[in-house]
Amino acid sequence: MRTNMIKFIVKRLLIAIPTLLVIIAFGFIMMRVAPGGPFTSERALPPEIERNIQEAYNLNKPIWEQFYIYIKNLSVGDFGPSFKYKDFTVNELILSGLPVSVTLGLSSIIISLFIGCFLGIVAAIKRNTYFDYSVMSISLIGICIPSFVMAPLLSLFFGLYLGLLPTSGWNGGNVLNLILPITALSLPQIAVISRMMRASTIEVLNSNFIRTARSKGLSPSYIVRKHVIRASILPIIEYLAPASAGLMTGSIIVEQIFGLPGIGRYFVVGALQRDYTLVSGVMILYASLLIALILVTDILRALLDPRVKL
Amino acid sequence: MQLTQKNINNSNLLLKVNNLSVFFNTPEGNIQVVKDANFSLNKGECLGVVGESGSGKTQTFFSITGLLSSNGYCKGSAIFKGFDLITSSEEEKRRYLGKSIGFIFQDPMTSLTPHMKIGKQLSEIAIFHEKLSSKLAMERSLEVLDIVKMPKSRDLINSYPHELSGGMKQRIMIAISLMCRPELIIADEPTTALDVTTQSEILSIFNDLKSNMNIGIILISHNIGVIAETSDNVAVMKNGLIVENGSTFNVLTNPKDEYTKHLLSCIPPWLEK
Repeated sequence: MRTNMIKFIVKRLLIAIPTLLVIIAFGFIMMRVAPGGPFTSERALPPEIERNIQEAYNLNKPIWEQFYIYIKNLSVGDFGPSFKYKDFTVNELILSGLPVSVTLGLSSIIISLFIGCFLGIVAAIKRNTYFDYSVMSISLIGICIPSFVMAPLLSLFFGLYLGLLPTSGWNGGNVLNLILPITALSLPQIAVISRMMRASTIEVLNSNFIRTARSKGLSPSYIVRKHVIRASILPIIEYLAPASAGLMTGSIIVEQIFGLPGIGRYFVVGALQRDYTLVSGVMILYASLLIALILVTDILRALLDPRVKL
Repeated sequence: MQLTQKNINNSNLLLKVNNLSVFFNTPEGNIQVVKDANFSLNKGECLGVVGESGSGKTQTFFSITGLLSSNGYCKGSAIFKGFDLITSSEEEKRRYLGKSIGFIFQDPMTSLTPHMKIGKQLSEIAIFHEKLSSKLAMERSLEVLDIVKMPKSRDLINSYPHELSGGMKQRIMIAISLMCRPELIIADEPTTALDVTTQSEILSIFNDLKSNMNIGIILISHNIGVIAETSDNVAVMKNGLIVENGSTFNVLTNPKDEYTKHLLSCIPPWLEK
């Protein structure tokens, strides 16, 4: 089992390399196809200055050579200098934003998993009761309202009208400052997860092995804990990677709205200012995170379901 | 009817079902699937219940054990050792289920929890009902696996259901029903999903349980051959009604009801001796 696991992880990491290369190449080309460049401005620069800048950032070389240089630097972990934030490398920028984004993303995913699964299980057990109906209709609203609507509404209501929580800012990671952004990020995920969990729990509750468990005279709470949850949580585990992708894109918007100095903001600003290296860097980070998460998902599934072999 | 008369004041009486009816609420209205069923079972005896699919055999016993689906309900009484299983609450019923009453299901392939080791699925019953330690419960599991003639039971308790064959799973199901030394076992088509050789092995286990452990067995089947091999009494069901009820020998050799005659005529002639 253990050697199998290691073999599996190594294999998947090796497969990840070409995947990442394709993503990097795609992003590289997309950025350069977009009109304008990092140093185009309304006032034209004198030609010799422009030439110097282009030379300094290797922009005068053919595109395939630029790509080669970029990949070569990447292979030693150097994401290159930022084109717009002078005196900063992309590594420095990402490292400064990472704690903010990770705090936000991790707490959102954990909170949405716990609340979503809990609501889903209870709704499934009490199906067709008022609890079930209210959870399901509220979650439908959660799915329909995107976070860029939810975030300003939350900020307006709790921050401005009630004055309970700060409307924006990081404030050194103060918990009060985190509540609203995490809520805005988690609500859509809670909605999706609770609906998925309800559906899969109902399916498991109707299965033959739960009938067997009931015929053993076990208590309902024991049956749910030991026989139901582990089987019904499998679809949620599968959903973990897409959910994280949703959280990442959500965090780009939410960080913007709440003025949080995370990576998402660099991504948006970088894309608008054609900061080629910064955008590539953030993109590689997101892609690697997703690949890692899919790997974790597969391992979790194998641990939960004995029928799945790695 | 004569049979039920005789059983009154009988200390051997294990289960007595009176006027049991089962209904389902469906979008098309209320459907009655079992109509006034009456039968009884003594300790160490086997009652065979035959009938075609949809005749209400399974639902009769699901209603007694509280396993009806949520839109089903039942009327009447089912007295198990002086305790009415129909009117009692879920909680009271759970004290008998799995402990004094074991249930064996039709489809062994899907009736075991896929993510739980066999040993755990067996021992949890004794841990729950008899508050045994997990070590003692595991020993009990090994004993029980011995009764159902499972070889290498030490390896077996650490395996998962998907690693076993259909026949092995059905033995595990029987072992599950035996964990707390039950007095009544209800087996719902226990051999339908199995091949003929496995089937006869399973039936011989039932015969052992009946004669050696004095367990009352209710065997639900559509296979008259299976019933003839194991049952002392037989009830024939059709469209929710028990059309004939009596000793297996009498019913099979001298059927009174048209439907029973019809059912017997369905046995291929080369099997009759």
